[in-house]
Amino acid sequence: MQARDIAVQLPTVTVHDPVAKAVRVMAMGGLPGLIVVDDKSRPRMVLPGTQVLRMAVPGAFQEDPALARTIDEAHADLFWQALGGLTVGDCLPRQQVAPVTVKLEATLLEVAALMARLRSPLVAVVDRTGELAGAITLGRLLTSLAMPDLDD
Amino acid sequence: MSAIISLAIFAVAFFFIATEKVNKVKVVLIAAGAMLVLGLAPGADVFYSEHEGIDWNVIFLLLGMMIIVGIIKQTGVFDYLAIWAAKKSKGRPYRLMVMLMIITAVASPFLDNVTTIMLVAPVTIVVCERLDVPAQPYLIAEVLASNIGGAATLIGDPPNIIIGSRAGLTFNDFLIHMTPIVVVVFVAFVLLTRVLFRKSFRYNPDRVAEVMALQEKRAITDPALLVRCMVVLALVIVGFGLHSVVHVEPSIVALVGAGVMILVSRVEVSESLSEVEWPTLVFFVGLFVMVAGLVHTGVISTVGDWAVNAVGDNFFGAATSLLFGSAVLGAFFDNIPYAATMAPIVEGLVAQAPDPVTGQALWWSFALGADFGGNGTAVAASANVVAIGIAARAGHRISFWQFTKYGILVTILSSVMAWVYVYLRYFM
Repeated sequence: MQARDIAVQLPTVTVHDPVAKAVRVMAMGGLPGLIVVDDKSRPRMVLPGTQVLRMAVPGAFQEDPALARTIDEAHADLFWQALGGLTVGDCLPRQQVAPVTVKLEATLLEVAALMARLRSPLVAVVDRTGELAGAITLGRLLTSLAMPDLDD
Repeated sequence: MSAIISLAIFAVAFFFIATEKVNKVKVVLIAAGAMLVLGLAPGADVFYSEHEGIDWNVIFLLLGMMIIVGIIKQTGVFDYLAIWAAKKSKGRPYRLMVMLMIITAVASPFLDNVTTIMLVAPVTIVVCERLDVPAQPYLIAEVLASNIGGAATLIGDPPNIIIGSRAGLTFNDFLIHMTPIVVVVFVAFVLLTRVLFRKSFRYNPDRVAEVMALQEKRAITDPALLVRCMVVLALVIVGFGLHSVVHVEPSIVALVGAGVMILVSRVEVSESLSEVEWPTLVFFVGLFVMVAGLVHTGVISTVGDWAVNAVGDNFFGAATSLLFGSAVLGAFFDNIPYAATMAPIVEGLVAQAPDPVTGQALWWSFALGADFGGNGTAVAASANVVAIGIAARAGHRISFWQFTKYGILVTILSSVMAWVYVYLRYFM
């Protein structure tokens, strides 16, 4: 089996979308992460769910756990409102990281090895021109693998 | 010819450092590599000569203090203090600003300015947002206070570490000669902020309850860890103070303190080392190699001879030039490479001084100018850049001119006060 055989179409976001939209897309779709694409539909970055959350939590609270502890419960429930008009592009790491992608003809072993190595529950599948052709989630990969039945 | 080549390498590197067109660590590594490959700085001296190579005392002092500060950061003490101050101020803007400035100015002589700002700025923003007041004036005041307070001690500001090591000045020397004027300048600055930021002071009594809801006690989860850290920090400072008795270099004191801090805090070694700003240490190493190239090719001695001739026997004039010149240059360039480059030149001037007191006066003038110059513009010191970055990420943008219009005023005030101090104490 190849990546093309198990790739599915998932919603994506662009760097111009608000962070709030990115979080909503992930939550509504029950996705393990998000693919950020550029204006030409090429994957710019593949973000695991925790990294999407990283965009939603103000940096000061991530860097200083003591500060996060001082926030009272009522305000703590509303931390995401501090996002304001921030876009996905505003929150991406400054250092360019190559997106987690595989070609259409990649084997499932390649996909699994990439996910394991980069700790990414989501892989973007790209065609020869580099455009996004689909995506493979960790769940999709695991259900596609010919795993031996535990009862056997 | 070698002098011209080394000067050219240095000038190009300094241009890129000053303009920040390229990562400054990359710049110094390439420039230092060029100096070494071209034989402008002999490898043996670069590594093993105390005054003509890498100043390991500076590097290891910074390393030790970074480890110590990295562990203190985890105690949550700064979040506690800032929120406590906000509650005590009851939302009164000037009172709040003064308390935050005092916290910053008292911490910065013992912790480096960048760390102090990284600890105080985020909680300041939280408090300001709760009070619905603009955070920018408070952040700017904290940075200015931090740069002033950092000038007080050997370890408070990187130029002081460089100057102390080059001149053989101890922690106590800095306490005796720098701290008094820093205290006076800080008091004057606190009074000045009442006028400087008067338009920004806004009192919202209905928002005070929002601040009172903050739970500062939850910031400190391990009071025993806090006590242990404070004891170790106090011992390290005592160790610095006992240099003239025990003759142990500050770098050794800091390294031993860092080791003890790791032991008593039970923090993982890898975790404590991850708090070290390795790029900063590499930047210092590269910088020292670049300056070594200038020393070995005779550039520094040529400039030094010129300076000695220019000064003649007018050492007050030399102190004045050093103080104001360093303040002006320190305001436009990163004061760390400036201090590293100028230190050997000032050393040449000091050698010509008629007595040790006059010689030391030149070092203090140099230190005061370089330190206070750090307030001059938004890019003059790392703490300024860090604060502006934190503010921008939190949606409280501080423009270059918004910072600089206050910074220039404070730099002029502090430099003039320092100049009067130098005259009264050393030349009258």
